[in-house]
Amino acid sequence: MDKLLTVTALRRVVQLTAFVFFVYGATIFATFYTGDKLTQNLPALSCAYDMKGGDYCALIPLQHQMDHRVSTIFTESEKVISALMPTLITLGTFALLILLLNKAFCGWLCPLGFFQETITMIGTKLGLTQLGSLSRETITKIRPIKWFIFLFLVLIFPLLTGIGFLGHEWGAPFCSICPSRIMTTTLTGDMNQVYVSQANWGYFALSLIADLLFGLMIALALFVRQPFCRICPILPMQTLFKKIGLLRLVKNGNSHCDTCSNCVKACPMDIYEIQDQAENKNITHTDCTLCGRCVEFCPHDGVMNFKYGPLTIYSSSKEGFKKRTKIDKWWKG
Amino acid sequence: MKKTILTLLTAATLWGYGDGAIYWAPHGCDEGKATASKHGSHGKGESAMFALMNSETKASSHLILPDLSEKNLSFKLNTVMLPKPPMGGYYAMVAEGNNTNGTYSAIRYLSLNGRPCKVSPTKLTALPKTDLEIIPDPLHREHDRYTASKSYRFLLHFQGKPLINTAVTLETHDTPTQTYTTDQAGAFSITLPNDFKNVKVERSENKPSEFLLTTQHRDGEHLYKSTLSMPYSLNPNDYWQSQTYGAGAIFIGFLGGLLVYRRTKKGAKNG
Repeated sequence: MDKLLTVTALRRVVQLTAFVFFVYGATIFATFYTGDKLTQNLPALSCAYDMKGGDYCALIPLQHQMDHRVSTIFTESEKVISALMPTLITLGTFALLILLLNKAFCGWLCPLGFFQETITMIGTKLGLTQLGSLSRETITKIRPIKWFIFLFLVLIFPLLTGIGFLGHEWGAPFCSICPSRIMTTTLTGDMNQVYVSQANWGYFALSLIADLLFGLMIALALFVRQPFCRICPILPMQTLFKKIGLLRLVKNGNSHCDTCSNCVKACPMDIYEIQDQAENKNITHTDCTLCGRCVEFCPHDGVMNFKYGPLTIYSSSKEGFKKRTKIDKWWKG
Repeated sequence: MKKTILTLLTAATLWGYGDGAIYWAPHGCDEGKATASKHGSHGKGESAMFALMNSETKASSHLILPDLSEKNLSFKLNTVMLPKPPMGGYYAMVAEGNNTNGTYSAIRYLSLNGRPCKVSPTKLTALPKTDLEIIPDPLHREHDRYTASKSYRFLLHFQGKPLINTAVTLETHDTPTQTYTTDQAGAFSITLPNDFKNVKVERSENKPSEFLLTTQHRDGEHLYKSTLSMPYSLNPNDYWQSQTYGAGAIFIGFLGGLLVYRRTKKGAKNG
């Protein structure tokens, strides 16, 4: 039993529990109505369209606030503080959650993240050649996409819709293309979110992108780690507050760090920067999901650390590395 | 005068509906819409005025707020005007009246915008409001709506206890009455009919319709009759949204991903 006790094993248990709660929570707990949801501001892609869900992500209220409240500053000359108050409450709650768990919401709690990891596990077991790490060049090209999605699909387009420059279909455009909407609803037996709309060009484009993206994400996840996470707009939003997060990845590197690159190979988000020299430095990158794989696969004692406030809760070690690589070999056959 | 004519017109349109039981219906007069607009808590084009239909007996009515406090509603003819809602959330409009034949009651739920109330809507639906009561289990969620071609579950309670093997009728304007029977838990499920006419593309272009659930129960000599009336909207998947194309697009996306796999595998082989 001790042989299987790893951070990844613990993470799988937490992920599965969170998945059941966030996708099917209302069938177990009284979380059906909006007011009964756990946070109503989750820093992870748990979908509000899922009628059985336990909570929903912060991006849907943020888009609606841009569309219906912030826009009133321009359309109805609403007082700035009154128009911004709901958004400030959303951001405040979000900041509080980041303070508690930082980006671990992605690596440990996000249902869409777990769904993709499960598909990758299936792909591995099916014997499909895994792509491993993406090249630095590819990663550099992909990284700005999430900022574009966050700025345009979560903030600017909904705001322009509220002002009247864009049609109603652009009121919550990220939700319209989000794979979590299709995944969570389909998994609860509700097929209503699988559609192509012919209402107008905007609806048509968004619904088509949503379906194509969902299919593409499933196929890519069979051989690429976390394909959608790399463009997820929750990451930039988390980044705004990551400095206050109590949970963080701290590196206290040594002279071997430039050559080994085990941490980069282990990282599902291909964050090349984590192999750089650092002395007792918070290296929680924008793309980091705090999954802990880099800590598990670091062969040096005390170089990679999970810290919660002043406490070190988990550190890399030779022993841990040996155990983890053995399990990895067994899993991959 | 205009209001009286509108009331008579609405009553004439809905004649025979509800099988003699009282029920709530929205009153789409200008005054009701203007008041709703002033409140700012109702949806676009909605009215704050409601009519109690078939109310031949003197009925009393009250509004249960999201925090479960109550406010009396006073009738003008058979209509009531809702007061400005002090908070956001679900409200229940309740009407009850007695005559020599028995007790009649009507319930309608409204979701209004405003500062959220911290009491769960579950408590509002669970709160006994009338002797015989049709309870949504659950209500549609906030920001959602009852939608055609979807199924919804309800409970039937008499004096707070489940009422089993009892008939409940579902009526809409353009579909023949359907009858459902409660199960051993006093529950029943309905599928709202897709009976919208002259449908325009985009949901906001189509006004919601109304459905009415009616039931009765005899306790000794005394007859209880109760209704639940709610609006329901058309389902875009019945009209301008294609689920077949949606599934097809997912499949194409999946194939695209497999093509990427083939290319990367080839690339890896070629070094």
